[in-house]
Amino acid sequence: MYKTQKSYITKDKKMLDLINENYSLLLCLQHFDIDFSVDNSTVEQLCVENKINLNAFIVIANLYNGFFPVDDEINKIDNIKPILHFLKKSHSFYIEVKYPELKYYLEKIKNVHTSRDFQLIEQFFNDYFEEVLEHLKYEDDIAFPYFFSLERKDKITQSKSFSAKEYRNHHTDIETKLTDLKNLFLKHIKIKSDLNVKRKFLNTLFGLEFDLKIHSVIEEKVLIPLIERIENEQNE
Amino acid sequence: MSRMNKSRKNIAVIEPSKILYEGLFASILKSEYDYSFYYFDSFNEIELFYSKKEISVVLINPGLIQNRLNEFAKIKNQYPDILWIGIIYSFFDNSILKLFDDTFSIIDDISIIIRKINSLCNNNFTNSNESGQLSERETDVLHFIAKGFSNKETADKLNISIHTVNTHRKNIMEKTGIRSLAGLTIYAVSKGIISID
Repeated sequence: MYKTQKSYITKDKKMLDLINENYSLLLCLQHFDIDFSVDNSTVEQLCVENKINLNAFIVIANLYNGFFPVDDEINKIDNIKPILHFLKKSHSFYIEVKYPELKYYLEKIKNVHTSRDFQLIEQFFNDYFEEVLEHLKYEDDIAFPYFFSLERKDKITQSKSFSAKEYRNHHTDIETKLTDLKNLFLKHIKIKSDLNVKRKFLNTLFGLEFDLKIHSVIEEKVLIPLIERIENEQNE
Repeated sequence: MSRMNKSRKNIAVIEPSKILYEGLFASILKSEYDYSFYYFDSFNEIELFYSKKEISVVLINPGLIQNRLNEFAKIKNQYPDILWIGIIYSFFDNSILKLFDDTFSIIDDISIIIRKINSLCNNNFTNSNESGQLSERETDVLHFIAKGFSNKETADKLNISIHTVNTHRKNIMEKTGIRSLAGLTIYAVSKGIISID
């Protein structure tokens, strides 16, 4: 017998069991700034200890287990701050950990593989990384300060020229090029290198792709509707 | 119409009974055929989804279209490549049933249901290029696109319409799995379609 589906996360389940079932949840905990030594805590206890909105945690953690939130679950989230902190944390994780890791493996591959094809891939990666940095910087510098000011109901600093709608428009698809990179490696370009290094590179790429996918679902399906709700309430 | 090489076909299921959906999903997942499953609440979601991924087959409960025949006809017109299979567990008038490409009853053996879906899919995919190789014309189009020519310029160079260029472009992206211009350029260089000095 084997289990094919991961659990649907609810407040009374033990975090330890959930981690044993799906260790990707470790990354979810890290983005929430929750320590991995979860002892015997239930999801609810862990959220109380770490002062995190339970409903927000459940919606996001369930994405890691493959469950897409329904409107009801999203509407129950009455505080967007943990979501904003979560997204900001993931940004620094991408910039400070994930992309340098990819760069490191590319460097290692470069040591044994010097063809023109590879130089092109490296160039592609560097250009792409620039784009990602630019996008994340936009969110950190412009979008998030606006969302935080909304949350504080701080009318003075709220810029009139910015809104969730604008955020939605600006929200570029950084996943496309990541998929391209993966396909270039897996389908098209033969690169001589140690299999260990290549696998580690691809592992990191898949891990990043998974997290970015969740990241954009949180932004588009959870955060933006909640922001629009706050905007509407404040405009009434 | 030629179809792109796709190892995986997408099946959309529009069926209010979650139990039925889960059952279909689990059974088809374990079959030898390779499908990806998506659950939709209503057929309005098809449009949104189709802009990102193609759908080969929609399994739908006829009860959901009974009072929305005009909308159903519109969607069918909009996406002529989609095959519609009715999930039958109660009586429906023949005038409704004939709107579907095929139907199955939920008490049919699961192997019969799977065979039905599969044979319908294959009938429609006889033109597919299994190797994923670009055709000569697609290679010509890629040559210009990768060099940075616009669709219009490429069309002029090859003496074809922009519409044709767009179709080729879409097929190239489907076959190679690469969607960005920068990625396509690397592909073209690695395959010797263009050279970089």
